[in-house]
Amino acid sequence: MLGIKIVMLNNLLSAFQEDFFLRALLALFLSGISAACLGSYIILRRMSFISTAMTHSILPGVVLAVLLGVSAYWGALIAALLTAAGIAWISSRKGSSEDSAIGVMLSVMFALGIAFMGLSHSWRDFTGLLFGSIVSVSSEDIAIILGTTFIVLLCLRLVHKELELASFDEEYAQLLGARPALLRSVLLILIALAAVACVRLVGALLTTALFIIPSTTGVLLGKNLKQVMFWSVICACGGGALGLFISYTFQGIPAGAAIVLGCAIPYFIIRIKNA
Amino acid sequence: MPTHTSHLRRLISEAFNNLLPAVPYAAPENASINDLAVEVKNLTVHVRPKSPAVFSGVNFEIPLQCRTALIGPNGSGKSTLLKTLAGLIPNYLGDVKLFGSKPRLGRSRIAYLAQSPQLNPDFPLQLKRLVEMGTYAHHGWFEECHHADEKVASALKLLELEDLVDRSVHNLSGGQLQRGLLARAAVQGAEILLLDEPFAALDTKSREIVENFLFHKNNSFTVIMATHDAADSKQFDRVLEIREGNLKTIHACAGHKNRHA
Repeated sequence: MLGIKIVMLNNLLSAFQEDFFLRALLALFLSGISAACLGSYIILRRMSFISTAMTHSILPGVVLAVLLGVSAYWGALIAALLTAAGIAWISSRKGSSEDSAIGVMLSVMFALGIAFMGLSHSWRDFTGLLFGSIVSVSSEDIAIILGTTFIVLLCLRLVHKELELASFDEEYAQLLGARPALLRSVLLILIALAAVACVRLVGALLTTALFIIPSTTGVLLGKNLKQVMFWSVICACGGGALGLFISYTFQGIPAGAAIVLGCAIPYFIIRIKNA
Repeated sequence: MPTHTSHLRRLISEAFNNLLPAVPYAAPENASINDLAVEVKNLTVHVRPKSPAVFSGVNFEIPLQCRTALIGPNGSGKSTLLKTLAGLIPNYLGDVKLFGSKPRLGRSRIAYLAQSPQLNPDFPLQLKRLVEMGTYAHHGWFEECHHADEKVASALKLLELEDLVDRSVHNLSGGQLQRGLLARAAVQGAEILLLDEPFAALDTKSREIVENFLFHKNNSFTVIMATHDAADSKQFDRVLEIREGNLKTIHACAGHKNRHA
């Protein structure tokens, strides 16, 4: 037992001496903070499907960007923002719920991506998009994630009382003139920004987990929005770091999958404890 | 250490608050030009563009501080009338004025309480925070709410909710929640209360507390309350009845005059 502890400690010390590990940890903490704060609103407003839509609908943007030889980040961002705008527009029409709007935009954008790939006869390897690669994040990636986290936190701080009000009692927000439809659009744009930044780390398939799992744990622990956000951030950063370390120790486990599993550990512990 | 932390937190909070100037949700309004709280002339409302009118050609006036009951059978249009006055139904025909201006959203002087408030059942919120939300009416975009503790405490006391401040709103009974929402309207500083069947979920004790809040001579609200229980209407200054698309006054403000004499 003592031997295992010493090996783990040695691994931890050597991990902290690796540049790529420290960069990955920094990127994880930054994106974990923005994903967990936004995730709290996503869970509390029952919009879990939205993060799946955002991450999957970036496909046409990435394909077009790669084909045109420009940065995949900008292609993904434009596609995500178009999806956010489409969802906001469709759900504001009479007879369309937000849920159906998300379903329509997700399918349309994903199909568009596949159509672009077919039209260009260039079925390139997009596994990087699906699974991410946190261990190869560059300084440019970290700058993008840092900028995204700053924008997300600033916006959430500036409109936190309106968002809290509109999330809890939309009609009262409307009566006070706090424009809940505008706030929903702001939230969608922030989710689009954060989702695109996270895709580089854990991939399109697992980004949803970064938004949803820590915040679901936060909801179990927090008595108010601030506490929910606090616990969500702790679970995203703590669980993510644990996953990253596991992936470093056991080289066969992909980092993205290990991070998501790490984030799920506190959730299951609390669920079992409360059962 | 805690002093340093709170100092740092205050500095960061001030930096954020100074980043953008507060923007009010709606333009400030002028004081009323006469002693009428509500004036309605020839009001016709269709809930949907081509649907039949819920009521048509309705006329009435409600003086300041008059407590008015709005009675009528289910589906007669009581809720639609209250929503129109609150500014939630913008498409109507006729002339409607509250404190001399047309109904619109963003008026802190007017509070509306729906029959079944659509509150997010997943959102963790304590009663104190719910009541504090009333202060948002006086704080625009980007503005932090400060110094509301006294107002909130007095509203909670008025509605006898002091012992429940830390309780989750989802663990309150229907009556306690209704009182919490009225406390929020009081903190908002609303002068006209538009209430849609507020007694529906109340037990005897809660009802007594709410009646005391609404009808106490020291409270200067103008109340318009929808109810279909004729017994409720006895304590009101004025009773309006909506039936088959028309509105008639059953009794005028005799009690109102007595109360304010």
